[in-house]
Amino acid sequence: MQSVADPILVVDGVSYSYLDKFPALVDVSLTVRRGEKVALLGANGCGKSTLLKVLDGLVFPDAGSYHAFGTAVTEQHLEDQQFSEGFRSRVGFVFQNSDAQVFSSNVRDEIAFGPLNMAMPLDQVKRRVDDTLEMLDIADIADRAPYQLSGGQKKRVAIASVLVMNPEVLIFDEPTAALDPRTQHWLMELIVELNRAGKTIVLATHDLATLETLADRCAVFSEDHRIIADGTPEDILADRRLLLSVNLIHDDDPMHEHPHMLIP
Amino acid sequence: MTSTATPAWLLDSEVGLCPCGCIGTRKKANLVDKTIAGSASLLRRAMFADDTSAQPGLLQRVDPRIKVLSLVGLLVVTSLVHHIPVLLAMYLATLPLAVASRLSLRFFVKRVWLFIPIFTGVIVLPAMFSFITHGHIVVPLGHWFGHRVGLTSQGLRSAGLIVIRVATSISLVVLLTLTTPWVELLAALRALRVPRMFVLVTGMAYRYLFHLLDSVTDMYTARKSRMVGRETDVVAGRAFVGASAGAMFGKAHALSEEVYSAMIARGYNGNARTMNRFRLGVQDLVWVTACLAAAVVVLGWDHAIGR
Ligand SMILES: Nc1ncnc2c1ncn2[C@@H]1O[C@H](COP(=O)(O)OP(=O)(O)OP(=O)(O)O)[C@@H](O)[C@H]1O
Ligand SMILES: [Mg+2]
Repeated sequence: MQSVADPILVVDGVSYSYLDKFPALVDVSLTVRRGEKVALLGANGCGKSTLLKVLDGLVFPDAGSYHAFGTAVTEQHLEDQQFSEGFRSRVGFVFQNSDAQVFSSNVRDEIAFGPLNMAMPLDQVKRRVDDTLEMLDIADIADRAPYQLSGGQKKRVAIASVLVMNPEVLIFDEPTAALDPRTQHWLMELIVELNRAGKTIVLATHDLATLETLADRCAVFSEDHRIIADGTPEDILADRRLLLSVNLIHDDDPMHEHPHMLIP
Repeated sequence: MTSTATPAWLLDSEVGLCPCGCIGTRKKANLVDKTIAGSASLLRRAMFADDTSAQPGLLQRVDPRIKVLSLVGLLVVTSLVHHIPVLLAMYLATLPLAVASRLSLRFFVKRVWLFIPIFTGVIVLPAMFSFITHGHIVVPLGHWFGHRVGLTSQGLRSAGLIVIRVATSISLVVLLTLTTPWVELLAALRALRVPRMFVLVTGMAYRYLFHLLDSVTDMYTARKSRMVGRETDVVAGRAFVGASAGAMFGKAHALSEEVYSAMIARGYNGNARTMNRFRLGVQDLVWVTACLAAAVVVLGWDHAIGR
């Protein structure tokens, strides 16, 4: 086993703008170590999703560098079949919008999509798909079409389609958004459990209430797309000035005095 | 720090605007309503056949690669036939095939004839008239500018030929697409050595279309839910269609791009793969033989009638 402190994803001085004119990341650096649960925290539009896409090799920085498992992740490197298959199977991404992620004609095909792309032997694919259906409790909807599913069910399918590849690193974009409290609870437990099983977790959120459960470290984005703080959830939540300055809490809103509620 | 105050009216409950029940007056849905909602759902069903392709029917059993090849062959045959009765026989032959493949006959016929005007209207209409296709006038339409004008028998014949040929071709294509899951169709194209880029682009185009239809229906529903009472203003209706078209394409584009990233994220690289490994069986041999026999009969018959 490798040591816990072993850095696996290293983002260094990355900047990115959409269409060269809408800045989304400005000089961002972040290191994710093996076995960690890292949360990206920030107001709407600060660049969380974009950074996750950089981490998953879907968007490539205009400036700065990104290394995963010791290799630079660039568009060029990802054209290499071997690197691409290795990287894609080691890093899984659960999108914010499940509609985008659930695109096959039925749930079973959806879940099989990743492993098939990895050229996994067919009987193994089938076995894994069945196991995953079972694990996420969606075996009863295995033959349904995605548009016949509820939002929560789609989320489960989206998660299943990523878990089936058994990635080392799991990236979640706002995992608990738009889920009912029970499903939210289920998903949080799942994430914690996966982390205990040795998976590295990176997630984006602006939900302060779930932070302590879901993260053991968090990076805070300012609204000008920079990371301005990096620390334990306790420290971050205790820093009211910081949270105010990035618009994560509101001046006169007693409900958002999370630090006092969460840390007795 | 500024914050926008919530308007007071939003905090009150609305008095008496909508006692949610029937009060007896009804109105007919207008034409724009029907066409938008209707064509979106029809097109959707016409193109995305994931339910019918899972049925245990005749054509569903044939290997997708064989189906693609035989389709291409039959399309060539269709284009070589020059007589209406022969084409008519071919068209009629697609109907039992549809039934044997568990397709609803009504829907199959409807969907084929829905496309005909789009493909043939422009060509067929003028061709029937005497000033385009000269010949024996069978339906006189009086004298225009000192000429006798009407529909000619030659014009009608060539129009009929075009229509029935197109109907047959579309029926064949629809048979293929309705009985083959989309992924398998893509995989079959790949197996037949169609370039990866082409398959990739086709797959993306299909996605895009899918989301386009979705956003049409969504935006339409969203607008409808904001309308109280009857919409009498046709001009506003048209303006909506115009204005929303741009937003729609943008939205569909953004979503299909997102879907594409989601596919890439799970290792997609244009090599469509499916759980069903293609394997040729007896049924494929039977199907190929039947297609060849049909082609021979059709071409022989067409030849026998002569020109
Ligand atoms: N496709 C795009 N084209 C242009 N600009 C974009 C695009 N996607 C995002 N942006 C811009 O990039 C910035 C960062 O967006 P991003 O989606 O990363 O934010 P986020 O932190 O995930 O926000 P949210 O909490 O709302 O999901 C935003 O200002 C946004 O307007
Ligand atoms: Mg986001």
